[in-house]
Amino acid sequence: MKKLFLTVLGVVVVGAAGTAWIATHTPSSPFDNVTASAPSEDLIARGEYVARLGDCVACHTTPDGKAFAGGLEMGTPLGSIFTTNITPDPETGIGNYSLADFDRALRHGVAADGHRLYPAMPYPSYDKMTDGDIEALYAYFMEGVEPVSQANKPTEIEEPLNMRWPLALWNVVFTEGEVYQAKASEDGMWNRGAYLVQGPGHCGSCHTPRGPAMNEVALDESSPEYLSGALLDGWYAPSLRNDPNIGLGRWSEEDVYAYLKNGRNEHGVVFGSMVEAFNNSTQFMSDDDLMSIAHYLKSLPADPDYDGPVWAYDEATADDLSRDVADKVPGARTYAANCAFCHGRDGLGQNEWIPPLAGVSSMLAPEAESAINVTLNGSPRVIANGVPDSYRMPPYREHLSDAQMAEVLTYARSAWGNHGDAVSEEEVAALRSHTDPASIDVIILQMR
Amino acid sequence: MKLTINNETYDVDADGDTPLLWVIRDNLGMTGTKYGCGLAQCGACSVMVDGVVTRSCVTPIDAVEGQEITTIEAIENDPVGKRVVEKWVEHQVPQCGYCQSGQVMAATALLKEIENPTEDDVEAAMVNLCRCGTYNAIHAAVKDLAEGGAS
Repeated sequence: MKKLFLTVLGVVVVGAAGTAWIATHTPSSPFDNVTASAPSEDLIARGEYVARLGDCVACHTTPDGKAFAGGLEMGTPLGSIFTTNITPDPETGIGNYSLADFDRALRHGVAADGHRLYPAMPYPSYDKMTDGDIEALYAYFMEGVEPVSQANKPTEIEEPLNMRWPLALWNVVFTEGEVYQAKASEDGMWNRGAYLVQGPGHCGSCHTPRGPAMNEVALDESSPEYLSGALLDGWYAPSLRNDPNIGLGRWSEEDVYAYLKNGRNEHGVVFGSMVEAFNNSTQFMSDDDLMSIAHYLKSLPADPDYDGPVWAYDEATADDLSRDVADKVPGARTYAANCAFCHGRDGLGQNEWIPPLAGVSSMLAPEAESAINVTLNGSPRVIANGVPDSYRMPPYREHLSDAQMAEVLTYARSAWGNHGDAVSEEEVAALRSHTDPASIDVIILQMR
Repeated sequence: MKLTINNETYDVDADGDTPLLWVIRDNLGMTGTKYGCGLAQCGACSVMVDGVVTRSCVTPIDAVEGQEITTIEAIENDPVGKRVVEKWVEHQVPQCGYCQSGQVMAATALLKEIENPTEDDVEAAMVNLCRCGTYNAIHAAVKDLAEGGAS
């Protein structure tokens, strides 16, 4: 009996010591004991490009705030957290970070004072970034970014849930902690695309489903769930795999390139959260990098099990929309009066300027959030190459009731061969209240 | 880019995504078509493209290349349009007049598609907004046209 007790005690003590070690251990960095020398202009410029690849500005800047000064509210199930000041201000920013500190924050989720970052910071993706990219990014943030004195806001997560050490255990389970390893079986273009998508681009943060611990269920193409589409932030981020309905199955590599470069192609125009990714990040990527991303994404196989029967255009809808039968189909009149002037009775949109509704993922996916959200709230301004878009989805929040919106979306999701599920009044009402800009507590980025 | 407007061909120097309304008003100087909301909602910018009422503020010009565009300037060259304008005068529809070229376009397109539209057809087609509230006069004029036929 005494022996058993001692054994159990021993296991508990060793387990606790191990946990404590993991929770308090500062991971090593290849830059430990490295003193960064004054960076060259080239390195700073490369770092600026890496910052574009990673889209740091999207989260570390508020709509009216100074670049990289942080403060953006992110809603989590436990309470709101706020992004931090990553300008080189020594008091409120990261001005005192060494290269190794910077590396630990970026690739291991550990701040300079040792506290664990919330994985809203996509370090499970950034840990795949190369030493060279980290070094360049550090050079840019230290020398190429204006310091801004702006104190960080404390998180609103209550005690004891605000303890950070359990995140160290989360990291052990859910991160790989390894720089991207090129696959010898694939060519250089594929590997560059894989690096950009999995690493700095962190596409999976939105497009890969999350598990119960808010972890991305897959971090690379070895899982069929990787980039298979996910619901986040009131939007459905579609599959980026070759699924013909909800993914990129009917897109060519050139289509993917054009979408990321120009914000539009004949299949669609960026909307929802993708507008930020386009405005701040993808359009600034080099042509070679964009083609590499397209090449990699187009290599991810489809899964007919969840994608369902392949969409085919049905032109009968356009005839149905002629006035004498329009009233017999619920939602058709609302469509004709509000939607058809831009998206067309044929549902095909207008060239690449106004997107089609026929055959698009938002109309085919079981999740109707994107369709509802964009109809309620419209689309933000898409700015390509410094020029704002000529046409923009207006918000119909004040214009259509929950019932009208549910009816017209149900109609659009069943017209022209679309086979998305019906939209209920309750779904519209829920998203309407969740995204109400007049609310005193509107959350810009909702993690769940 | 070549655009056919009111049976004339114009060589237009503008980007493909330029709204048709800009080209009609600014490049070609035909100011009868009005800018209202810019979002396809109010109907002030309505023209006909191959006889179908179209919001020119949300129509990129490269989407209507080769199609027959009709603006308010030439509406009376169309027999249906001529009759609509006559009824508009008879019923003294306009007040400030800003939305009326669009209203005439909507009525003309309706009557070209359906010669004797029902009350329901009229309600579905005449969705343009009017800040002066001339809806009763518009309704009376269109009802008159619907009952009398457009020919």
